[in-house]
Amino acid sequence: MIFSRITKAALERFRSSLQIRAVVYTASLSGTALVILGGVLSVSIGNGLFSTRTEQAIIESNRAKFTVSRLFDGVAGKDPWRFQRVLDELVPELESIGVSQTRQVAFLVSDSQSNPNNFSSPVSAGLDLSLITKDFRNQVSTIPGVQTRTVQVLRAGESTPAILIGQKFVLPGGLKYELYLLYDLYNEQQTLLFVQRTLVLGGFVTMMIIAFFSFLVTSWLVKPVQEAADASELLASGDLDRRLSVRGTDVAAVLATSFNHMADSLQEKIMAMDELSKMQQRFVSDVSHELRTPLTTMKLAADYLKEHQEGLPEFTQRSIVNLHGQMDRFDLLLADLLEISRYDATGVEPSFEVHDLNGIVGVCLAAIQPFADSKNVYLDADIPSGAVQCEVDARRIERILNNLLTNAIEHSEGNPVKIRVAQNDKAVAVSVTDQGIGMTEEELAQVFNRFWRADPSRKRTTGGTGLGLAISYADAQLHLGRLEVTAEPGVGACFRLTVPKRHNITDFESPLPLAMEKP
Amino acid sequence: MFKILIVEDDDALREQLEIGLMASGFSVCYASSGLDAVAAFEKNNPDLILLDLMLPGKNGIEICTEIRRNSGVPIIMLTARTDDSDMIRGLEAGADDYVTKPYKIEVLVSRIKARLRPLREALPLVVKIGAIELDTLSHEVRKGDKKIALTPLEFKLLLTLASHPNEVFSREMLLEQVWEYTYKADTRLVNVHIQRLRSKIEDDQEQPKLVLTVRGWGYKAGPE
Repeated sequence: MIFSRITKAALERFRSSLQIRAVVYTASLSGTALVILGGVLSVSIGNGLFSTRTEQAIIESNRAKFTVSRLFDGVAGKDPWRFQRVLDELVPELESIGVSQTRQVAFLVSDSQSNPNNFSSPVSAGLDLSLITKDFRNQVSTIPGVQTRTVQVLRAGESTPAILIGQKFVLPGGLKYELYLLYDLYNEQQTLLFVQRTLVLGGFVTMMIIAFFSFLVTSWLVKPVQEAADASELLASGDLDRRLSVRGTDVAAVLATSFNHMADSLQEKIMAMDELSKMQQRFVSDVSHELRTPLTTMKLAADYLKEHQEGLPEFTQRSIVNLHGQMDRFDLLLADLLEISRYDATGVEPSFEVHDLNGIVGVCLAAIQPFADSKNVYLDADIPSGAVQCEVDARRIERILNNLLTNAIEHSEGNPVKIRVAQNDKAVAVSVTDQGIGMTEEELAQVFNRFWRADPSRKRTTGGTGLGLAISYADAQLHLGRLEVTAEPGVGACFRLTVPKRHNITDFESPLPLAMEKP
Repeated sequence: MFKILIVEDDDALREQLEIGLMASGFSVCYASSGLDAVAAFEKNNPDLILLDLMLPGKNGIEICTEIRRNSGVPIIMLTARTDDSDMIRGLEAGADDYVTKPYKIEVLVSRIKARLRPLREALPLVVKIGAIELDTLSHEVRKGDKKIALTPLEFKLLLTLASHPNEVFSREMLLEQVWEYTYKADTRLVNVHIQRLRSKIEDDQEQPKLVLTVRGWGYKAGPE
């Protein structure tokens, strides 16, 4: 479990780090090269040692032949007793020739028929005669000259290769003997093992050094790339002043230079856009402000006229009423425009206080009741009995609800409008559901757009400004809440406002479903 | 007949305001720039000032501060800016109330009348809160031997709270009883004026002992 997690983490690190990958690849490639090199070296050193020893053994074997001939010279078959004495001296004599430390000797009678005196077959102490197989003895006794064969012997508890050299002798008197010399390769084997160990250790150390160097080199190479990546990340997250330092004239410097160019032009464009957008927002805000003074004068005048219209001709009176009504509409439009422009300029300062959402909903319902009555719409409120405490800007929540209720009543075509309030431990919600004309998918997508009206003919019945839902949407966002909508043509629409109980809660679920009313 | 000083630089608006106010039974004088405002106030001695915030020469907030130095005359700001910060700064400078352009003459007139209406509650002659004594006849406020200058609005606010000690008033109730709003209004009016009041009567404004905040509800006069 833990192991698999560690493996997974390591794998993740391997995938995500260019540098680690480069180091691992370099180390494993150079490791492979070292293994091949070590193998070749080990084999050729082993072969060299073996052939040197073999050559040496053959030379010594030839020398042994002379020694044997010399010893038996003159004792040719007449004196069995002397013969036997020479035979007895033979093995120690042969064991001490030459330079190699360990040599074992066997001087074996070839066939018993030619040995009527039953001369012995002297053998070195500890020599395993089973090494000298019948097969090899046949070979030695039939083929003239020196015969060699590689065998395995036990030395110091280890299986060690050895060279067995055999040649035949016909002693004076026709006695056939075979001389076997066993040269073990224990020392050579130890040397080879030492060389191999040294190669493995050296290879390992070399690989580590290569890995370390490749780490240094790659970090030197990767550093500018990493810096560029970090800088792009920061740039993307809004730090437009981020630049790379340019050192030297290599490809890293080119990368840094072009990155800086890109950042410069990006910054210029964004600043220009920002400036433009700010100018536009300021313009809207200024226009709204500037319009207010003449609008106030016009409204005051219109109010005055309306109050003093008695006795004036009928057409004049009608004109005054129209003027007055349109002044009010103009007023509303300007107020909404100003509100939107303040949102655009992010100059909105909400005043969050703890309120009971039920109370706010109650106030809104009471205020909208006359309008609902005039449209013959029943307001069906489902409000929990306990307090629904939440930290909100009550004025803005009221504005949202007022908007939703007005829209619902206007579009419900006389069907009841359902209002629900609910809470969970993190958020509170209000939903307003009508069973009216509903909206199509395309209409839904635009419902929070400015000056958008569901009615294509843009016929105004309540004198809404077309900014209401756009402002409501911004109001909900100001609370870090959500204003959502679902609708279906002919079934109705459901608007749901969800706001967190504290304005610093960001992760919450709505306690109410976003669904149409079942008819 | 109450005399009202209009400080407004837009001639058409000022004239229309004059028409409206005179039709409602007020006498009117005016200043058309910020520089003339204080002089016009001293010369005419009006009962109330309607003060535009955006004025050439000297802005409404400066004028307000200057007049408040030695007068508690009711001041209602007329503001084209619905920018909250401007409005709050005006209130902090001592304006009693504000009306946002465009307004209806009836609204403005009802705001004016609310500010001009005398206190007419059947109250004891002297109301005490802590070391503060309010004389409801002379409208004098004393803290020990020291006289404290409160504007009529601040006096009414403190009197409302002090005559019902330990009773909690919500901001809405205060708006209704002190400012005489009959519909929902901006509760920040209350917050700002409570702050101004505290700065005049409390020993330590940060640790009020006389006018206490009841979190989530409103305010009440202290326990003493």
